[in-house]
Amino acid sequence: MALKYLIVFAQVHHEFRIPELRSIAELHGFTFSLPPSPEDQDPTRPYMVLDLDEEEHALILARRCILIKSVYEFYGQGSTYEELHASNRKNQARWARYVTDTSFRFIVTAYNHKIPQARQSEVVESFSYMGFLGKIDMKNPEILLGCFEEYTDRSGITRSKHEGDGQFRQVYFGRLLEEGSARALVGKFNVKKRVYYGNTSMESEISLLMANQTLACPGKLIYDPFMGTGSTAYPTMHFGAFMFGSDIDGRQMRGKEKVPGVIRAAKQYGTASRMMDICTFDVTRNPWRCGGLFDAIVTDPPYGVRAGAKRLGRKKELSEAQLALYMEYRNKPRSDDQPYFPPTKPYELSSLAVDLVLLARYLLKPNGRLVFFLPTVTEEYEEVDIHLMLCEGMEVIANSLQDFGSWGRRLVTIRKNTDREYPPPSFDQELQAPSTHIPAHKDFREKYFQGFKKEGEDVPVLE
Amino acid sequence: MVRLITHNLLACHVKGCNSNNFPLEFKDVQIELREAEFNPDFLKGFMPKLEWKALVDAARQLGDTSLPLELPEMLDDDFLKNLHHVLLEIHVEEGTMTCPNCKHEYPILNGIPNMLLAEHEIG
Repeated sequence: MALKYLIVFAQVHHEFRIPELRSIAELHGFTFSLPPSPEDQDPTRPYMVLDLDEEEHALILARRCILIKSVYEFYGQGSTYEELHASNRKNQARWARYVTDTSFRFIVTAYNHKIPQARQSEVVESFSYMGFLGKIDMKNPEILLGCFEEYTDRSGITRSKHEGDGQFRQVYFGRLLEEGSARALVGKFNVKKRVYYGNTSMESEISLLMANQTLACPGKLIYDPFMGTGSTAYPTMHFGAFMFGSDIDGRQMRGKEKVPGVIRAAKQYGTASRMMDICTFDVTRNPWRCGGLFDAIVTDPPYGVRAGAKRLGRKKELSEAQLALYMEYRNKPRSDDQPYFPPTKPYELSSLAVDLVLLARYLLKPNGRLVFFLPTVTEEYEEVDIHLMLCEGMEVIANSLQDFGSWGRRLVTIRKNTDREYPPPSFDQELQAPSTHIPAHKDFREKYFQGFKKEGEDVPVLE
Repeated sequence: MVRLITHNLLACHVKGCNSNNFPLEFKDVQIELREAEFNPDFLKGFMPKLEWKALVDAARQLGDTSLPLELPEMLDDDFLKNLHHVLLEIHVEEGTMTCPNCKHEYPILNGIPNMLLAEHEIG
């Protein structure tokens, strides 16, 4: 029979919560059920009651999910205290073992509200029918009982301090099973404390969420084709996977010291031996001998705001005379301290996204995952934007928005759902089937710098 | 870096260089040995992807003769430990990798191979 657990979420990135739970459950080979009513599945709400087969599964979630603050053994809930107590009484079998001789502590707290001290005591008193005989211990109790009132968001409304007290949407009760220990990693991987980072390094919480979407664990090999300063690599390696990175610009990975920057940062986290290798190449001209190599591909492709995507080539082809001059220059011997930097041209985001999915289908093992960020214009985004990037054998399994207002970025997780082997992509934009639908992420860079104005609207002129 | 597992996966990708473009030949290399975590499941899972002869040749060129020329049928612990060492613990830090076909040289600097192609090589 399924057991119920109350999940208390951290109040951030709500669209990432359920995908993260699903990923960690899949990684550990178990399933869970969401509450039956759509209202209770609402991922913006801070508390959620899950059905799990074993307590061990709840512990796994608490230890690996970045967005879980704590997990409680669920005893009851209701829209009033009468309902809560009725449901708590029904679950007596779950708490009866603590009645006779267990020291405990009781907390009463609320989301979007502060409960006055006097009523907190009233609430504690109202549970006296449970008849707990153990002593109350505020410092080192054997168990912690938590009662959580959930209020709707009233921010922006002026009100007196305790106004609306008791008018909660739902109240939950349970015993603390495990504090979410993975959240501490957000501090551990803090970019500011990292020995090597760049201006496009990604905040640690997001890179940890990405790592969880890849199902990183020991024995897996994961690839970032736009590695940059390695933000995606450190959490992935922390979870035990080997990481392979490449970038068209080796300077991003190297930094200025002899030991490459991404290796120094990996050493800081004690995971340098899991950095399989890093290579300089353009992923559209890649040297992979074969496909089917990786368990996951995880990347934050450059989308042109702080760093534009580039691929090898020239914006304009050379004339014959220029080409002759170039070849003459090429054939001259050069000293080692003047490395050759080939010309590059911009790589438009919607082409890059399509290519990335095709590349992932080639390079991933069956059931492997592609996890990447796609920036979009909030007003113009449509779900079909994501589906147009797909190809046979690749399906979207999660799509979570990090909202910045007029734009946002979506963490897209795509699974290769076939054993078939596919050829490497051609990376030839002209060969891509023309589509009548223009995705909101097309020409994202231009739209960003125009402040996401629609056609015909005035573009503010920057002084 | 440039472990032999990586060397076993990289082929020359110059435009039109499609045959005899693997394995790349090491030249003037400096190597370092660094310990890595032993994970037999990873090794067994990865073996179908390896080009065995290329791996054995590269290892021998770098002075490690622990691997048999023919892939054994029984994967015992000794074999897996040797494979682990060859694939994951030998790092080529400096040198070049040369394509046996078109002779393009890919330099390795501070352990990072530069696999970028020049303009006339991408077509």
